[in-house]
Amino acid sequence: MKNSSSYTAIAYLFLAPALILMGIFTFWPVGYNTYLAFNNYSIADGVATWNNFEHFKYIAQEELFHNALKNSLLYLLVVPVIQVAALVVAKLVNNKLPGMTFFRAAYYIPVITAISIAGVVWANVYKYDGMLTWLLQSLHLVPQGPDGQIDWLGNPDIAIYMVMIFTFWKGIGYYMVLYLAGLQAIPAEVEEAAILDGANAWDRFWKITVPMVKPTILLCTLLSTIAAIKSFQEIIVLTKGQADTYTALYYVYDQAFRNYNFGRGAAAGLVVTFFCMMLAAVQFRFFSEKK
Amino acid sequence: MATSRTTRRALALIGQYAGLIAFAIFTCFPFVWALSVGLSADPSNTWLFPRSFWPTEPSLMWFERVFTEMPFLDYLKNSTVMSLWTIVAVAVISVLAGYPLARLKFPGRNLIFVGIIATMMLPSEVNIIPNFITLKHMGLLDSYWGAIIPNFAGAFGIFLMKQAFEQIPQDLIDAARVDGATELQILWRVMVPVSAPSIAALSIFTLVNAWNDYLWPSIVITTRDKLPLAVGVFNDLTGPFAVSTSLVMAAIVMTVLPVLIFFAFTQRYFISGLDGAVK
Repeated sequence: MKNSSSYTAIAYLFLAPALILMGIFTFWPVGYNTYLAFNNYSIADGVATWNNFEHFKYIAQEELFHNALKNSLLYLLVVPVIQVAALVVAKLVNNKLPGMTFFRAAYYIPVITAISIAGVVWANVYKYDGMLTWLLQSLHLVPQGPDGQIDWLGNPDIAIYMVMIFTFWKGIGYYMVLYLAGLQAIPAEVEEAAILDGANAWDRFWKITVPMVKPTILLCTLLSTIAAIKSFQEIIVLTKGQADTYTALYYVYDQAFRNYNFGRGAAAGLVVTFFCMMLAAVQFRFFSEKK
Repeated sequence: MATSRTTRRALALIGQYAGLIAFAIFTCFPFVWALSVGLSADPSNTWLFPRSFWPTEPSLMWFERVFTEMPFLDYLKNSTVMSLWTIVAVAVISVLAGYPLARLKFPGRNLIFVGIIATMMLPSEVNIIPNFITLKHMGLLDSYWGAIIPNFAGAFGIFLMKQAFEQIPQDLIDAARVDGATELQILWRVMVPVSAPSIAALSIFTLVNAWNDYLWPSIVITTRDKLPLAVGVFNDLTGPFAVSTSLVMAAIVMTVLPVLIFFAFTQRYFISGLDGAVK
């Protein structure tokens, strides 16, 4: 057998491909992005010149960026809704009843569809004379005829909530599967004992299911919080940032690839990263206190 | 007493199935509509609900036109090539990195593991600017490699393989070491065969992610013929080539179908793969 020092060499040899690639495409970008945020970057010759806090001063007083940040934070509203719904749906499919495989698969289909493709179909759901208008008109919730035809993605008051519904539809299957895995780790006896003790479904859900899947809840909430803060692809495929759906990462993308101001984009990206880290820290604190 | 319990159970069951079916309708209705519109030779009912949810004059003509009016087969080929290379690279890199993190003791192990896991918290979209510059220096813009290399090493794959390797009994490794096997032989002959289900799950996840990747390829690749399906079809459908909703929906059905068929055969591993990631 070998001594431990030869394992060190082997360990690093095995880790080398992963570390080199992550170094180039994950760790280095974080550092370089931070550096770019304090520089003016010229696309033509790749020269960066130090400009102190110019980009930050600029975005700190820019209406467009404030609005983008506000929309990104507003997007967090989707997190509790999607988590509660995913847990309830996971509870529904966590049974040995016939047809459960079919339902699980049906709920997972949006997850395995490319966001761009799903977006094209949903643009038709949200058309002024599309499926949503028809549904609400047949339920008599909006006026019949052209009066009730709402341009769901064009109205600045509601467009962002419509994009959130799309996010909900697209993501719920993913979290459902994660919760399903958590639920299957709960021993059946615990629930059976509670039923014998006369606990109703509501009590059992809050007093047994929720506490037992708490680690999964932390993981899923964290994942969906970060996904909500970086909401951007759903915006680009549905509204292209129009109608007050402009989010912080859309700003980053716009500054970088339409204005070609890489430095300002990087500065905005740094602000978004900062918010992600803060929210992750808050959630870890919140969930570990309550255990 | 006995009958009331049976009735209550039956009612609960009906309620449960009603909820399940209602939710299935919510997740599937856009695809049912797209399929129906794509299959309808006569598009006049496209915007008549609920009539449009079943085809008018069923025919495959719109599906045939997808092949003649957009480079669908090129996109399909690009998606296939890019996904296969991504799967191979992710599997090899994750297996290699997962093994020392799970089974070897070496200085810096915890630091490296925490560093890798921490990247899950980063918004990867922030990396697009630096990665764009890096790839420009490497001369990889507008190439397959540029579109896929940043996805090769990811925290999820390394984490999944580490979890899988930790489940394997130490006796197996010790026996191989006594027989004089090198660490690479142990990894390849002992660890990999035993963890085949986890590697399969990882490959399936990687395939779906690579197949559906939209943002990064759309930034890196500029030549139309090099685009993967998720980008090419989207650009064609939202651009000047979008001649009719029927054609658009037929193209969408054909884009989703390969993933759907694949998913139908492998969905057991999806669930078990995520299972491992949570525990």
